[in-house]
Amino acid sequence: MSLTTSSNRIGQPVRRKEDLRLITGQGRYSDDVNLPHQVRAIMLRSPHAHARIRSIDTRKALTMPGVLAVLTATEMLADGLQPMPHKPQSNSPAEPQLINRDGFVEFDAPHYPLAVGKARYAGEAIAVVIAQTIDQAKDAAEQVEIDYEVLPVVTATAAAAQCDAPRLWDGPSNVTLDADVGDKAATEAAFARAAHIAKFETWIQRVTGVPMEPRAAVCEYDAATRRYTLHAGSGGAVRLKQDLALMLDVPEQYVRVLMNDVGGNFGTRGMIYPEFALVAWAARRVGRPVKWLCDRSEAFLSDYQARDLAVTAELALDKDGNFLAMRGSNISNQGSHPTNYGPLKKGVEIMSSLYRVPAAHFRARAVVSNTMITRPYRSAGRPEVMYVMERLIDIAAREFGFDRVELRRLNLLKSAELPYTNPFGMLYDSGDYPAAMESVLKRSDWSNFPARRAEAKTRGKLRGIGVANYVDTATGVPRERAEITVNSNGTVDVVLGIVSNGQGHETSFAQLVHEWLGVPLDSVRLITGDTDIVKVGGGTHSGRGMRMGSVVIWNSANEIITKGKRIAARLMECDPSVIRFEQGRFLAAGSDRSASLFEVAAATTQLIDLPEDLHGPLTAFSDEIFNEASFPYGCHVCEVEIDPTLGTLEIIKYSAVDDVGRAVNPMIIHGQVHGGIVQGVGQALMEQCYYDPASGQPLTGSFMDYAMPRADNFPFFDTEISEVPCTTHPLGMRPAGEGGTTPALGVVINAVVDALSEYGVKHIEMPATPERIWQAIRSAQK
Amino acid sequence: MYDFAYLKPASLSDAANQLASPDSKLLAGGMSLIPSLKLRLNRYATLVDLGALADLKGIRREGDALVIGAMTPHAEVAASDEVLTVLPALASLAEGIGDPLVRNRGTLGGSIANADPAADYPAAVVGLGASVITNRRTITADDFFKGVFETALQPDEIITAVRFPIPKRAAYAKYRQPASRFALVGVFAVQSANGVRVAVTGAAPSVFRLAAAEAALIKRFAVAALDGITLDTEGLNSDIHASAEYRAHAVVEMTKRAVAAALK
Repeated sequence: MSLTTSSNRIGQPVRRKEDLRLITGQGRYSDDVNLPHQVRAIMLRSPHAHARIRSIDTRKALTMPGVLAVLTATEMLADGLQPMPHKPQSNSPAEPQLINRDGFVEFDAPHYPLAVGKARYAGEAIAVVIAQTIDQAKDAAEQVEIDYEVLPVVTATAAAAQCDAPRLWDGPSNVTLDADVGDKAATEAAFARAAHIAKFETWIQRVTGVPMEPRAAVCEYDAATRRYTLHAGSGGAVRLKQDLALMLDVPEQYVRVLMNDVGGNFGTRGMIYPEFALVAWAARRVGRPVKWLCDRSEAFLSDYQARDLAVTAELALDKDGNFLAMRGSNISNQGSHPTNYGPLKKGVEIMSSLYRVPAAHFRARAVVSNTMITRPYRSAGRPEVMYVMERLIDIAAREFGFDRVELRRLNLLKSAELPYTNPFGMLYDSGDYPAAMESVLKRSDWSNFPARRAEAKTRGKLRGIGVANYVDTATGVPRERAEITVNSNGTVDVVLGIVSNGQGHETSFAQLVHEWLGVPLDSVRLITGDTDIVKVGGGTHSGRGMRMGSVVIWNSANEIITKGKRIAARLMECDPSVIRFEQGRFLAAGSDRSASLFEVAAATTQLIDLPEDLHGPLTAFSDEIFNEASFPYGCHVCEVEIDPTLGTLEIIKYSAVDDVGRAVNPMIIHGQVHGGIVQGVGQALMEQCYYDPASGQPLTGSFMDYAMPRADNFPFFDTEISEVPCTTHPLGMRPAGEGGTTPALGVVINAVVDALSEYGVKHIEMPATPERIWQAIRSAQK
Repeated sequence: MYDFAYLKPASLSDAANQLASPDSKLLAGGMSLIPSLKLRLNRYATLVDLGALADLKGIRREGDALVIGAMTPHAEVAASDEVLTVLPALASLAEGIGDPLVRNRGTLGGSIANADPAADYPAAVVGLGASVITNRRTITADDFFKGVFETALQPDEIITAVRFPIPKRAAYAKYRQPASRFALVGVFAVQSANGVRVAVTGAAPSVFRLAAAEAALIKRFAVAALDGITLDTEGLNSDIHASAEYRAHAVVEMTKRAVAAALK
């Protein structure tokens, strides 16, 4: 094999190794795991969004056929099962902290896996029923008698923050965090001298991630070793193990987590779920493996939901259009329990996006409400604020007579200004922001848009075009570890704490190993889903997989080569300094002697006189802490056509330029961008988790009502990868997984509003449904 | 799913007899019934499967009408040369129901017996002024649909076929609800020797005829004839997918599109 002619190197669009297996039914997902003698669990969930639980009578249920146990909060507390180990304020050193205002009163809101005393959202688990079969468990669940005292509810974000809103917890209000970011005095001063102030108030509606594979978990408890073994999909096995050990209150080594294929994450699978701890606990109690499978309806109730941010924002400009400052307020709806301020923080710290904004001040609040818990979801927090900023710019352009592209050109940070500290304290390292915008404007044929609009008009259609820049802060769990072992049988094992949830890791990580160790792509085996092997690792989220994985794999590969040279020197009886490593072989200078990497690996167990640190197998690891954030960026343009008779909309063209620093597998990155765009456009046009405001009942409980975008809602995407090396990453890489989503909300709404500009329509809230568009046109005509 | 007894009778009379017992339900294609059972939304002591009754399947021409057996799946209607030739609007309606799985399992009789407010077939049955033939009698389309999931069928009555008169021209225009892709509004517009009929599904608890449009189109079967026609929001569905106001507007708009398509 010659590496120089290899089409599997870094930068090549290598076909995904895993796809044949996955598309021919050979994948092994959580529900594919069945253990001998397993029994089934079903969750009995609250039908009320807010209710005191006066009593639970399980006596009749316990007599039903096949029933092994009916477990409630009483048994849970007696057995010492711990609350969910949420870390709402988990901080990255690269990000400012959200510190509560003086005098703010915090209160406890522990999230137990079964509701204790009170249900706070419709669908919260009240009891677990364990039976031989699912149907028996469901039959028994219907016989559990629960006496509820129904309480008033609040579901809407801004309403939940009001002091007279129904309270979920024993605190002074539903507000769980109230912080200020930025410089208030400087911001007020800048607003005082502004020539123009653009204002925008919006709600970035709640959506849900909808992974294709529903959640499932099966756990066995071995009484002899007192060990729990949980099979359940997640973004990372190690964190799930740690969190499960905390909930079970046992040392980590008493828990093993296993996962194979995981069918989608998007953040939805980013954190342990109550059900995972419940099956583990139940397995110990009943002495049998316990399995739970979430059906789709249950997923709509109980999967972590996302977004849900109420924003008021203002942008101050001078008479020439230079941005002077921005200010406003963001309120994050946490759902029933405050579990993660990440999206709130990750949004508010980059409200100013890629633009030169000298001063800014925002108030950041989190509230609880009678809704399912929200957590990070693809590009957590950033799509929300990029949407706000890009809408503000369009609003300012229209209101104050600027060209929207020129206004962006004027204020976009130039390469020479980088590194740049934004007004919230975030340090953007590198990039060429104007180049991304100019490139996509060209790809989208922006300048000839007027002709296309005129042509559409002749057909009675309204054309609109929008542009949106974005920056995306990638941080995530900072520690990652790789361990590479070269086996004498011609395989290379890579142990990594990052689980593929569909991103194609088996291919892209293998490309790295192929590049650096010169071994065939197919020789590389990725081991990520067994915590008895994988001891360290943060999992797949916040654009950290390739960003961190590449570095620890690179370090390990280099260590393998260093060790290998010393071993090869023994084999070839020369000095290590004259050996070079090329295309998978160790070559001795000045001779024709050489040894392959695998021969060297075999030698580690064959040579008896090796120094101790070279004793086989040939292995090396790297364990690193990544304290710096990474800032992928780019620019998207979307062109839409609206039929004014019904307000229906068609996306005519969607162009994207996304900078990833250095592309490992451009095909996979294009795929990531495509999927990302779809998730963003889904939010802009279709998706919403609806709750009935009076009862708190979720109204989107199935695909009959939750509007998922589908292939026929989209044109073919025009995506381009830009590669300006990232200066804070040793290999120049920036994450690529979230960029598709981040600007999509803003660019679509900008295009929709542009299409309606002749009617004087100033804004359409998301999702911009045909009815909303039609109503806007109608109101304008009145 | 709750337990139930499963019967597969070999004759229509057997089926009717078994249906007479309390808490029994007919199973045709099962495309609505089975999911509702799986979700425990419905519970029956007995399911009576019509799958063995070959007589209930098939499409035939009878004079100036098409007679389609109640157990004929949508895919068969969509692909039938006979239907495509004399009643292409019905074929295209069938082609637009659900997905391939639903079209290959779901049946005409099952659809209209279920009377889902957003189902497509009721619009064709009412629009074409079809006759619903049962094991006991013939029911006119206008008398068949009574409300949400409600029809004129007696508990032990079984639809055997539907007789669709062949019109001069007809078309079905469907505005899909974005999530389910059922009809948010579906309009079946027909011009025949007997006049004009316009039937609307999706917009209200049950399929209904749009009298104002029919009156206008009888004078002149043209899109322009519908100018100025409006629909009162009273009695229309209103939900997260569309307000009654938007549905009222969409009914008129989709009627125009159906008429335009019929004239093509």
